[in-house]
Amino acid sequence: MLKIEHLKKHYDNFSLDCSLELMSGCVTGLIGQNGAGKSTTFKAILGLISTDGGNITILGKDIKDFTVKDKENLGVVLSDSGFSGYLKIKDIIPILQNMYSKFDKSLFIEQAQRFQLPMNKQIKEFSTGMKAKLKVLVAISHNAKLLILDEPTAGLDVIARDELLEMLREFLEKDEERSILISSHISSDLESLCDDLYMIHDGRIILHEDTDVLLSDYALLKVDAEQYGKLDKQFIMRSKKETYGYSCLTNQKQYYIENYPKIAIEKGTIDEVITMMIRGTEQ
Amino acid sequence: MKGLLVKDFKLMMLQKNFLLLILAIVIGMMILSDDMVFPIGFLSFVASLFTVSTISYDDFDNGNAFLFTLPITRNNYVIEKYSLGLLFGCIAWILATVLGIIVTVSKDILPVTDLVQSSLIILPMMIVVQAIMLPFQLKFGGDKGRIAMIGAFGALAVISIVIVKGAEAIFKVDLISLLDNLPTVSMGVFLAITIIVALLMLLVSMKISLSIMNKKEF
Repeated sequence: MLKIEHLKKHYDNFSLDCSLELMSGCVTGLIGQNGAGKSTTFKAILGLISTDGGNITILGKDIKDFTVKDKENLGVVLSDSGFSGYLKIKDIIPILQNMYSKFDKSLFIEQAQRFQLPMNKQIKEFSTGMKAKLKVLVAISHNAKLLILDEPTAGLDVIARDELLEMLREFLEKDEERSILISSHISSDLESLCDDLYMIHDGRIILHEDTDVLLSDYALLKVDAEQYGKLDKQFIMRSKKETYGYSCLTNQKQYYIENYPKIAIEKGTIDEVITMMIRGTEQ
Repeated sequence: MKGLLVKDFKLMMLQKNFLLLILAIVIGMMILSDDMVFPIGFLSFVASLFTVSTISYDDFDNGNAFLFTLPITRNNYVIEKYSLGLLFGCIAWILATVLGIIVTVSKDILPVTDLVQSSLIILPMMIVVQAIMLPFQLKFGGDKGRIAMIGAFGALAVISIVIVKGAEAIFKVDLISLLDNLPTVSMGVFLAITIIVALLMLLVSMKISLSIMNKKEF
């Protein structure tokens, strides 16, 4: 569906070197802090910025050869950009109709009504939640094969976020081939939706794992200095000094449960894994 | 392309009250004064400004980034802006000229051929103004574009004065009276040439705009 190989982009105080792959029918998440390189990656995929090296292939085609017709297969949400705030939903409908040959007008109107998006109000007057829903609605209403969503859930309350994720699930259900690349700096948004996750930090991918594995096999070991000294560290990915001793990140929870029954082992949430991957020291 | 035109039409309709007001002012000017050339030029230039203003709307809140994820290319975008400018500008110019003719005939002031001739001089001027405005607006965006544009027009005015004065001083030719005294037949040739030159300038300007847009990062 989408393949990025050593995508490079240099700015004065930031450089990106990112590789990732999105399989057909999958939802892949890209998690990272603000400024980690998520938006830069997305903009490079979409051809909005020039790149300094690497290859990007979308739907089997190099982005340099991507045509207007190919772009119809993409649905895009950008965190900091959308339709002009001066337009209304009723203005957007004819625009989309003339842009996309497969625009589903009835679906669009039905969903807009379902989420109570006003047809006759300028978008700049919308609430954050309404703006976010409209952006996703525009992305899913023209039968795209691949959605590229940069922080679609940013700034949303729990209810609005769930509604938005529900829209994405319904989109996926309609066709097995449909895929989504989605980014967020809040991992719990992605936990329930993504098949696999990439973690990006300082422009580099520092971890790639299936969400199931991340939730089942990753754990935090909380040990004092003595326990830490005796610990078999072959499955410890990162460790960090704490007031009580050390916290250690492992991707082999079962091994430590069986061999160190006295150690406190906590199921790692994705946020904790991220924090450890970034703050902890490598073994 | 059609989607872009629909979008710009919707954006321009946001200012339809303002546009109607301008039209009313133009009609008022024509009725109250015997000068038809100024209102014709005025309406044509305001219409050109309207098309340029859609670029600012696109730019608002970083809207361009999203716009270029839609199934359009950067070249489509530039060509659409030039087509829109030419289309909307010409419609306004034709409308203003027709209004001018109607008022002139009903007031019986000036020969209609004189009016049409003056009106025809405005057309290449409008095209040149668009050729200058569009690349500046695309390069610098809303606010900075406006300042750059004022500078460009200032420079253009200085250059034209230098040419006229220079011709007078060096070659002892008075360009303005030469223009005034052109016989009607060569006036037609002169107009045809200016319109062709203006269109060529627009084409060069579009080339520049294409390269500006293709280099932009969003």
